[in-house]
Amino acid sequence: MIRVRQLIKSFGWPRIIIALFLLSLFIIAPMVGVKVSSSLSDTIARFGMNGIMVLAMVPMVHSGCGLNFGLPLGIIAGLLGGTLSIQFGFLGGSSFIMAVLLTTPFAVLFGFGYGKLLNKVKGGEMMIATYVGFSSVAFMCMMWLLLPYTSPTMVWGYTGSGLRTTISTEGFYLHVLNDFLKVQIGENFSFPTGMMLFFALMAFIVWAFLHTKTGTAMTAVGSNPVFARASGINIDRTRTLSVIMSTWLGAIGILVYQQSFGFIQLYMGPFYMALPAVSAILIGGASVNKATITNVVVGTFLFQGILTMTPSVMNSLIHTDMSEVIRIVVSNGMILYALTRKSEATR
Amino acid sequence: MNVLKETRGEKFFRVLEKNAVPILFLAICAIGIPFSGYSLNYLGQEVITRISRNSFLIIALLVPIMAGMGLNFGMTLGAMAGQIGLIFITDWGIGGIPGMVLAMILSTPISAFLGWMCGKILNMAKGREMVTSYIIGFFINGLYQLIVLYGMGAVIPIKSPALILPRGYGIRNTVNLISLRKSLDNIWAIKVFGLSVPVMTLIVIALLCVFIVWFRKTKLGQDMRAVGQDMEVARAAGIKVEHTRIVSIVISTILAGYGMILYLQNIGTLNTYNSHMQIGMFSIAALLVGGATVNRAGIGNVFLGVTLFHLMFIVSPMAGKNLIGQAQLGEYFRVFVSYGVITIALVLYEVRKRRDKARVGRLLAQDQTDVKEVK
Amino acid sequence: MARLSPSHRRHLFQLAAIVLILLLGVLMFFIGRQHTILLDNKTLEFEGKSYQAFSIVEVAVDRQERLELAARDRDKADVLGQRHVLSVWYTDKAFQEHELKVKFSVPVGQDMVLVSLPALVGGAPESVWLQPYFPPTAVAPPVSEEPVVVDDLGVIPVSF
Repeated sequence: MIRVRQLIKSFGWPRIIIALFLLSLFIIAPMVGVKVSSSLSDTIARFGMNGIMVLAMVPMVHSGCGLNFGLPLGIIAGLLGGTLSIQFGFLGGSSFIMAVLLTTPFAVLFGFGYGKLLNKVKGGEMMIATYVGFSSVAFMCMMWLLLPYTSPTMVWGYTGSGLRTTISTEGFYLHVLNDFLKVQIGENFSFPTGMMLFFALMAFIVWAFLHTKTGTAMTAVGSNPVFARASGINIDRTRTLSVIMSTWLGAIGILVYQQSFGFIQLYMGPFYMALPAVSAILIGGASVNKATITNVVVGTFLFQGILTMTPSVMNSLIHTDMSEVIRIVVSNGMILYALTRKSEATR
Repeated sequence: MNVLKETRGEKFFRVLEKNAVPILFLAICAIGIPFSGYSLNYLGQEVITRISRNSFLIIALLVPIMAGMGLNFGMTLGAMAGQIGLIFITDWGIGGIPGMVLAMILSTPISAFLGWMCGKILNMAKGREMVTSYIIGFFINGLYQLIVLYGMGAVIPIKSPALILPRGYGIRNTVNLISLRKSLDNIWAIKVFGLSVPVMTLIVIALLCVFIVWFRKTKLGQDMRAVGQDMEVARAAGIKVEHTRIVSIVISTILAGYGMILYLQNIGTLNTYNSHMQIGMFSIAALLVGGATVNRAGIGNVFLGVTLFHLMFIVSPMAGKNLIGQAQLGEYFRVFVSYGVITIALVLYEVRKRRDKARVGRLLAQDQTDVKEVK
Repeated sequence: MARLSPSHRRHLFQLAAIVLILLLGVLMFFIGRQHTILLDNKTLEFEGKSYQAFSIVEVAVDRQERLELAARDRDKADVLGQRHVLSVWYTDKAFQEHELKVKFSVPVGQDMVLVSLPALVGGAPESVWLQPYFPPTAVAPPVSEEPVVVDDLGVIPVSF
């Protein structure tokens, strides 16, 4: 009994409620005529799309920089890489590889500056990260208009300059990961093996990194800065490194998202993308200063599951689409819950 | 010996840095105004309109800053309460000043409750009040949508077909507040140099300013400042810290509700699902443009901020069009500047907090060497 | 009168303030209630009596501008509150000009009332010249004639 209670405590009530809610949605679904197989397939696809962006939270949480509300900055690096790859005329699978390669220098550069900034504002990272995200999105809105892109698939047709708000990835890297070794079971269920493998690869890289010497130093900086300094770790450098990693993961995350979604969303598109990722990892059991790969996997699955299931089930159950409201309440409620908990200084 | 010996250069940069944001904005406006091609008369009229429209909301931010809780991103809660009040009076067909007063009366308990809740939550998240209040705004927005989009007309009786969506419940995206439009502004509008000045609205804002000045001097106001300075010291002095913090948020939320009603009577149209979310961000940006910081803001900052921020806002699309040939660019520019200014202010606040600590250290060290020299 | 402890007195004041505010709210509800007064210049037959329409009549509600009504005309005035003054300017059969001021109050909860000017001038009782009016069909949402004023803050998305 005590063990059960401890298990519940370690899992946390909010998570249990959300998991039960999702479970009940899956149970109700067939009764109201929603196909479970296609819902499950959607959930998995969305998991793959969003997983890496959720993963982007992990390094910064580990080094004590808090939740990466500045994810839009990484996303912008990804957008730059993606658009440049198309601009240079790469097609198919090679365009995705080029996008990843072109993205990397931007992500490192942005992450470096962002990390330096966050080192100056220790203690107030999350609020400033939020606004760094917002202002960089707004700044890039101007840039998308001004940068000298010329590819006719991307610029406005009638003026010949300035990028469109949404750019199709068809013919470029649309579904390059989704369709790689795709497993189709029945009519409604498909498993995007390539995308899941890619996610697994990224998750493994992060996991392996956190077990290297630098990785453990990062964890030390986050959990006990005084001890870390005493043992000769350069705190600022470690933090900057974690921010660079988070930014890069965010950039790769958006590329994976785009290849599955089919569109590159520019301008105000990345504006609020941090919040779903933040709440996903929190639903998975992370807190402001503690996050694991398991949290990412569990959280993304639960969050995306709710996102996929509520609209269809709600619609057929009460003929009203309240999913929007449920999503807002659940995701922000989760963030609030995490923010208000006494942060455990040691673990 | 309390004055730190510093070189003239250091001092100059400190003063410059203190006023960096207003100076930057003055520069932007100075460049933008001639390029926009607007007449001074037009700009003057716009600025007067926006001062009367937005000041009340911005002043609502001052109380939590006094209590050391930073910028109250949770002012959206008050705005929502104000909007609910307006929806009810529109449905009941109450117009004019009585309608405004009734909307305010209706909004008060809602604001007070939401503010109390917000204060409770913020007490659980000391040290990260701003990000928490920001998320509270989103969270309550979800509940607001639940009530307004699904509850109203279904559970809460709303009968006017002009308000309800064709499907039978939920409020429409835009609500026409025609019976309320400019009812306060037009009571006593005078012409000065060809500009129409809504004197009555300005009197209301002046009264609020007087209230704020008076409030600072009351026992409660003093307590808040003490809490804002140092929570532990205040607690040792017998001040109920948690209670004081909650009260400051409640006052701010209620004032924000009134401010929203004042704002919307000037606009005349309620954007049911948007108005409240945008207003928080823009009020905060305006206050910061006026030279306020996260821990210090006065009435002067409010009016300077409204003027400069909105001048920039009016001017930039046309200036963008005339300078680069794209009005869209100017529109993005002003969004960027709004967010950028908040970012800069937040960064400066954190940096300054650390530097002040260092300054105190230097001051101590200097005192010690002074003592040695005297010996 | 028994002396009350300070905390009791405080509660009493708080209670009084709340009651006062509620009363103010109720007051605002009545004085701010919008009504539409329809002004009718049509011949009215009532209990065998006939009130002949004017060929031309001027009428004003409270201090609003004068409305000119020819025979069989109907116009409306939007007002706030219950109590109003109606001013009618008319010429009688002897081409004598008359001014008539009548005070009346709109029934509580009534959105629209119909005032028959011939009956009013003809000295009919109030129940005849002032009648509640219900729009014949469900009111279609009014189309605003004035341009919708919006602030220019609507550039940023508000939800994710």
